[in-house]
Amino acid sequence: MADPAVTSGGALSAGGRGSGSKAASSPAENYFLSRRRTLQVVVSALLTESGFDSAEKAAVETLTEMIQSFLTETGRCAKAYCEHTARSVPTLSDAVISLVEMGFNADTLPAYAKRSQRMVITAPPVTNPPVTPKALSAGQKRTHPPYIPSHFPEFPDPHTYIKTPTFREPVSDYQVVREKAASQRRDVERALTRFMAKTGETQSLFKDDVSAFPLIAARPSSIPYLGALLPSELELQTLEETDSSEQDDQTDGETAAGNAIADDPGADKENPLLAPGGAVPSVKASEDVIDNPYLRPVKKPKVRRKK
Amino acid sequence: MNRKKDKGFESPRPFKLTHQVVCINNINFQKRSVIGFVELTIFPTVVNLNRIKLNSKQSRIYRVRVNELEAPFLYNDPTLEVCHHESKQRNLNYFSSAYTAAVSAVDPDAGHGELVIKVPSELWKQGDDLKVLKVYIEFSLDQPKGGLHFVVPDVEGSMAERAAHVFSFGYQNSTRFWFPCVDSYSELCTWKLEFTVDASMVAVSGGDLVETVYTHDMRKKTFHYVLPIPTAAPNISLAVGPFEVLVDPYMHEVTHFCLPQLLPLLKHSMSYLHEIFEFYEEILTCRYPYACFKTVFVDEAYVQVSTYASMSIFSTNLLHSATIIDQTPQTRRCLAQALAQQFFGCFISRMSWADEWVLKGISGYIYGLYLKKTFGVNEYRHWIKEELDKIVDYELKMGGVLLHPTFSGGKDKDNPTPHLHFSIKHPHTLSWEYYKMFQCKAHLVMRLIENRISMEFMLQVFNKLLSLASTASSQKYQSQMWSQMLLSTHAFLKSISNVSGKDIGPLIKQWVDQSAVVKFFGSFAFNRKRNVLELEIRQEYSSPGTQKYVGPIKVTVQELDGSFNHTLQIEENSLKHDIPCHSKSRRNKKKKIPLMNGEEVDMDLSAMDADSPLLWIRIDPDMSILRKVEFGQADFMWQYQLRYERDVVAQEESISALEKFPTPASRLALTDILEQEQCFYKVRMEACFCLAQIANAMANTWQGPPAMKSLFTRMFCCKSCPNIVKTNNFSNFQSYFLQKTMPVAMALLRDVQNLCPKDVLNFILDLIKYNDNRKNKFSDNYYRADLIRALTNSLTPVISISNEVRTVDNLNGDVRLILEEITRFLNMEKLLPSFRNTITVSCLRVIRQLQKNGHIPSDASLFKSYAEYGHFVDVRVAAVEALVDYTTVERSSAELQWLLSMVQDDPSHYIRHEILGLLCKNPPFTKTADSALCNEALVDQLWKLMNSGTAHDWRLRCDAVNLYYTLFGLTRPSCLPLPELGLVLNLKEKKAVLNPTIKPELGGAGAGGVDTPASIGIHGVDEDPDPVSLGVCGVGQPPQGLKRKADTPLGSPPEPGQVLQQQEDDGRGARFKIRFNTMEDEDIDMETVHDSQAFIHHHLNLLERPSTPGKEPPLVEQAMLSMLSTPATPAPSFSKEPSSLSSKHGSEHGHHHHHHHHEHKKKKKKHKHKHKHKHKHEGKDKDKDRDRERDNSHAYSNSPASGRSLRSPSLSD
Repeated sequence: MADPAVTSGGALSAGGRGSGSKAASSPAENYFLSRRRTLQVVVSALLTESGFDSAEKAAVETLTEMIQSFLTETGRCAKAYCEHTARSVPTLSDAVISLVEMGFNADTLPAYAKRSQRMVITAPPVTNPPVTPKALSAGQKRTHPPYIPSHFPEFPDPHTYIKTPTFREPVSDYQVVREKAASQRRDVERALTRFMAKTGETQSLFKDDVSAFPLIAARPSSIPYLGALLPSELELQTLEETDSSEQDDQTDGETAAGNAIADDPGADKENPLLAPGGAVPSVKASEDVIDNPYLRPVKKPKVRRKK
Repeated sequence: MNRKKDKGFESPRPFKLTHQVVCINNINFQKRSVIGFVELTIFPTVVNLNRIKLNSKQSRIYRVRVNELEAPFLYNDPTLEVCHHESKQRNLNYFSSAYTAAVSAVDPDAGHGELVIKVPSELWKQGDDLKVLKVYIEFSLDQPKGGLHFVVPDVEGSMAERAAHVFSFGYQNSTRFWFPCVDSYSELCTWKLEFTVDASMVAVSGGDLVETVYTHDMRKKTFHYVLPIPTAAPNISLAVGPFEVLVDPYMHEVTHFCLPQLLPLLKHSMSYLHEIFEFYEEILTCRYPYACFKTVFVDEAYVQVSTYASMSIFSTNLLHSATIIDQTPQTRRCLAQALAQQFFGCFISRMSWADEWVLKGISGYIYGLYLKKTFGVNEYRHWIKEELDKIVDYELKMGGVLLHPTFSGGKDKDNPTPHLHFSIKHPHTLSWEYYKMFQCKAHLVMRLIENRISMEFMLQVFNKLLSLASTASSQKYQSQMWSQMLLSTHAFLKSISNVSGKDIGPLIKQWVDQSAVVKFFGSFAFNRKRNVLELEIRQEYSSPGTQKYVGPIKVTVQELDGSFNHTLQIEENSLKHDIPCHSKSRRNKKKKIPLMNGEEVDMDLSAMDADSPLLWIRIDPDMSILRKVEFGQADFMWQYQLRYERDVVAQEESISALEKFPTPASRLALTDILEQEQCFYKVRMEACFCLAQIANAMANTWQGPPAMKSLFTRMFCCKSCPNIVKTNNFSNFQSYFLQKTMPVAMALLRDVQNLCPKDVLNFILDLIKYNDNRKNKFSDNYYRADLIRALTNSLTPVISISNEVRTVDNLNGDVRLILEEITRFLNMEKLLPSFRNTITVSCLRVIRQLQKNGHIPSDASLFKSYAEYGHFVDVRVAAVEALVDYTTVERSSAELQWLLSMVQDDPSHYIRHEILGLLCKNPPFTKTADSALCNEALVDQLWKLMNSGTAHDWRLRCDAVNLYYTLFGLTRPSCLPLPELGLVLNLKEKKAVLNPTIKPELGGAGAGGVDTPASIGIHGVDEDPDPVSLGVCGVGQPPQGLKRKADTPLGSPPEPGQVLQQQEDDGRGARFKIRFNTMEDEDIDMETVHDSQAFIHHHLNLLERPSTPGKEPPLVEQAMLSMLSTPATPAPSFSKEPSSLSSKHGSEHGHHHHHHHHEHKKKKKKHKHKHKHKHKHEGKDKDKDRDRERDNSHAYSNSPASGRSLRSPSLSD
């Protein structure tokens, strides 16, 4: 349906027909515009018939709108009835039922059509209905396979059901990937910190331009060690990820060679990695046999003599 | 104390403590107060035990009962205020001696104490049946400043939800701060400890937890601990908090405690403790002596590790998760240290302060063995070298560290360490730095002993000591046996000689009885004709901190045909040593060269001197002397040594020697080492820095890319795109450490313009940019922090045309890039904090460096906000460091004041200590330089700080003393106005003398000083001298005082001295010390005895307790206090001494002044000669101006001071 704003605007500004068509440029708009002009002529003719000498533009416009709605609704309704009965072309009875449905007395119609003083209106100029632009011409349109009757609707455009063959070569260049990942992360971090800095208190390194390198203000915490010691959730998350996918799949292919861990902290590092796994279950398994005074239940007070 | 020939332990007390009950009924976190009582079971060892001296500081004592009888008591803590507050004395010698005297006066090792309890006469008149006395003391602590530390975070919720906790702390024997006890390492007893705490809390203390019982209202519970092994009070500790409990999965008798939410970290950090246990038990062939062990991790810890009987208190910051690399070895070291001290230090205790070195030495030594086993021989040797370098540097800079000081009778002539500005007579007067060095030296000396007698014997000795002690500890009812658990130097040496049969006397004499280290200079020449290596080893032993070494020394010579050890004898006069060579110089044959370890290697010998078969020479390769060796050998020899010697110490030595040889050959040798993966990673790390230095020295001729860049690229960057670093994978720790270090070293490179090359800076910025840790199972926080450190290192001072103000617009492009990175890092840290906030720490440092180099405006406010309470401790320290630097560079007195106010008020003891330590390291000015900051107000402020402001913390007080020494030196600070009384008139001698305050005496004024000028001791002898009555005695003469006040100019009357004097009474056990002063007699007693007493009396009165000796006078005293708070009431000639003695002394005194005036140049000698009472004059000021001033000061010659000193009673000898 045409954009009512455009159409009415065109009509209003036009008054005369020529200028209106100038405004509308695209063929689709032209098409709709000319239809509407015809309707306006119709309305004007009807008004003249009814004995009006002149009408305000706004009134004509409103009436045009009403008549357009009426016709459209009639058509839509008739089409619906026709499809309801599994036909593709509306018949007269469809149209009649539609009119009846809309509260129009269809019987008066022939008489009205044959009235004497009716004015003859020239046919609207022939304009081609706008061609719906092809959305995507991807692949070849498929024809029906033999087992589907030909009256069945055609296949929709191929782009709606086939994989789009559009395929850009993925960036597999290691350097670019790293570059991209790095700058992406940096951008995210910068944006985030800038945002935090803008929304909260800041400190600055320069007195003349406090916004140059905004530092989020240092805020003392009441339990500072928690933040400093506990790994952040992000770290825990990545840790889990790396745990599941083992360290080795380095993108660059080659891992640092020679894990000859000799007499250095290297040697001791192996244990903590193994230990927690081994240690924790052993506690749980033997929990009930551990006799540790701190695990014993607290005793109820006894009545004791005062010292 | 002398090494006694008799091995037995002599208690300085007239009683033996056998059992002590400590019961703390109430701990109030809101008010930070503690209420409780103690009960000591003692056996008198003399008939008529009438006084019991105990240690107690800062607690309020409500009542004392002995065997159910109310006992009067006296409380006097002279260390509260060392020098009298009115005194204008400002020199450190004076303070040091007064402080030593104050500490001695309450030293439990000498049988003294702050709390004197008078045994009710009913009990001591019972006669000679030595029966048990039970001393019951009720006490409370209100907002303790020392001893116990409350951490109460300011958040919503109950105390348990807020993670509020309290724990005991202190430096050396500091238990007296939180309950009355005999605060000596040598007084052992069994313990019963009870703590009633909120039901949501856990109380952890020494010994076995017997039971936990709810109180009747079920809101609290009482923890009952029993410690059946005799233990000294300083080894008792307490920690209360809402701790999470973790029973060690390997050893169920070991329990770990941490603050809420940290349990996962605790589980990980403690997962290897059992290995340490197993190691020690195995080498000592002795079970862990206590039935259980507890580790508690607390916030705001005083030190990282403190060990007590059967428990250790650690800093919570030692806990870490599995992703943290760098913290892991550090935490393990701390645990190992703590456990080593459980055996030696807690279970076996020291007999006296002079024996401390044995325990510190043994625990440090076995800790070293653990290091060797766990971290490897390389790490161990590296550590030994590090420690050796540390002690050598310290001793050469500060003078000797004496392990076993002997004090013969406290005469300061015998002061063994006159070079120090503090006394080493007591642990509490030691500077912290010195004590650390002391510990370091102790374990090194133990290693020397091991070298002499073999490790096997060494361990046998330890085992013997431990089994003796555990036998003694099981003697429940024979408390006299318990002294077997005390270790003395003598017992230790005897045990060594018994076990090994070797005489280590000379070794002990050289390193233990004597301070200082040895400094060797070596050089050599090769005599081709004789085929002999002529080695010359000279020594320097005249400069401070050095001593002469006589004895064997090992020299290792690597020749073409192999490595040969030679033992040379260093004697008095022999400098040259001829060492025959084994190989002829020839290089025609291609032959592998055998090394020390039997390995045979190919070497490129083209660099060698064609005539000589010598590859390299090492002096004392095993570090069996505490020495510094400066050895001159050619650069190619150092290079060979670096490449082919397998000992990490030799490699490190050659690296530091190569710094002086910036040649392409050195460069090649270092690069080769860097690349060699078999090489110890710490050596490679050092090579990085050396390479940077060499590159800088060769800046003009340097070829190729910046040093290490291609190396780093090869090792850590992608093959395909060499400018991008690989995604992090830290599973090989050696390469991790190298990856961390190389950028830091590279950033030190400078081009010809002395700027960091653009290449390098971009390279580092790229490393930061491309850093990707997503695939790493370890945290990269230390790596990123090091990259920021690299940025810091790359900074050079700005070149500015004018003194323009730094603004954003005129920012250098590189600096802008750096700032971008830092801003991002620092801001990200707020959102995703890194472990221990390492990144914030690095950022603060780089910001300060940018300011210092003039790139951005210098401003302290950022650092101030980070230094505030509530930030993580590492961040605070970094911020304080920046502030200290700011203070020094900008000479800002506002910031200095800010720091000093933090020293006074900050809740964290560690931060206070750090501030003073950092100020000492980077002082705003020193005694040699003038500064606008140096003014009278500052002197007064610091004086006040060390005099009374730090009485609650021994360590802090010593830090303050250190700072005072750094800023003003030993003598009266030069910025002070001269005392107005330049001359004093000696009425008796009719001579005018220079006021001793301003004309200091040379030398000798030492730490051991018991006397100071014009000091007067009053000595109570046979009778019970009641200190109160002595104090009161001056009351009779106020008019004179008023007169004196009138004719003395206000403001700066010189104080000839006022000390706390300790007198030895040879007759009885009764010893009394009284603070006395020629000018302000009354005040003296006010200050010491009175104040505390008045306080106590006040409370006693309130509580309507029975009378105490001090009860009668308080009203009078208080009146006096108000009346006499101004100086100057004349000295009363009050003495119980025979008047003849006192007057004789008086004349001597005058005589002394006489000398002073006329012959002050010779003064010292004469003085020492004639006056046994050893008057001391402070300082060594020879300022000419002073002399002039003295001449001009006749106007004051009628000062009453001299007259008074005439009449002053004194008894010194």
